[in-house]
Amino acid sequence: MDRRDFLKKIIKAFFFSISFSLILILSYIYPSRIKQKKLSYIYLTEEEALHKSGIKRLEYKYNLHEKTIVSFVFLKKEGEELTAFSPLCTHLGCLLKWNNIEKEFVCVCHGGKFDMDGKVIAGPPPKPLERLPLSIRDGKVYIGIKLYG
Amino acid sequence: MGKIFVWIDSRFEISTQHRRFFQRPVPPNLDYTYCFGGIAFTYFLILLFSGLLLSLYYVPSEREAYKSVLIITNEVPFGWVVRGMHKWSASLFIISIILHAIRVFVSKAYRHPRELNWMIGAATFITAMASGFTGYLLPWDQKAYWATEVGTSMVGTIPFIGESMMYAVRGGAEVSGTTLIRFFSLHVLYLPLFMGILLWFHFHMIKRQGISAKL
Repeated sequence: MDRRDFLKKIIKAFFFSISFSLILILSYIYPSRIKQKKLSYIYLTEEEALHKSGIKRLEYKYNLHEKTIVSFVFLKKEGEELTAFSPLCTHLGCLLKWNNIEKEFVCVCHGGKFDMDGKVIAGPPPKPLERLPLSIRDGKVYIGIKLYG
Repeated sequence: MGKIFVWIDSRFEISTQHRRFFQRPVPPNLDYTYCFGGIAFTYFLILLFSGLLLSLYYVPSEREAYKSVLIITNEVPFGWVVRGMHKWSASLFIISIILHAIRVFVSKAYRHPRELNWMIGAATFITAMASGFTGYLLPWDQKAYWATEVGTSMVGTIPFIGESMMYAVRGGAEVSGTTLIRFFSLHVLYLPLFMGILLWFHFHMIKRQGISAKL
């Protein structure tokens, strides 16, 4: 084997070992746990309790990482139609309050206002309120939220 | 070489300039003891590369350093390999430098015109030792903590300025989270950069002066 062949072999061996270690390196770099949020339905209320039309603030409880978390949604009843609004302002995520006299959602942080359909009527919010999926089974109302799980 | 290399080389023009790399005169009858310098440099490259990989997961904080090392060792795929490579290469790097220095000393390769290269080599050795010392603290376990406690106490024995120097090294009166961040910064930023510059000097002079002939 002359020097030229030796060099060629060495360079080939080098590239083979590089490409082999590349597999190990990629599996080292790639995250071992990728958790994505899944939509899960949580019990909200009995359907019979919603006899009045209008906006109602409803609390619900769920367990996450062995802790009980209490949260709430705004439920709108118009005729027989139910709509759930997320209580987060679409501007920076502050919690909204329902003003029953003015019939509007108010955000205390920057003065964002939404009407009964979740549309922006004042302030900086760029988007209408987020609607959450609802599910009604056997006279019970469930709210769909995204959780790690 | 293949088409891809020709395509790159007709633009990057590496082969014409570096043809000399393969045609450098080498004195006859060199033996394998002349390889220790190259072996040491290979360990340096392994350390550099495995260190870059470790830095993706290591957290240089008082609370999370030890936990992140555990995660690297037990949870990250091949993390134990990367950490093991870094740890063992560090020891073998120092050993290779010592063997290389012994070879240079025995073959009297430090004489004119290579005195400056010997000095640069000595500085490289000190930098390597410093990297080893600062890297030893980073796992942030009992052994690391007390080794650094003892090591930095030695600085305190220097007459007159020792105590203030010790505080400067520790970043406070005791070895603490501040020391960890200091040592981390030295270990991954200052020392490798300094080492890179020193090695550049070292190899530049080897290229210009050539390998010393056997006695």
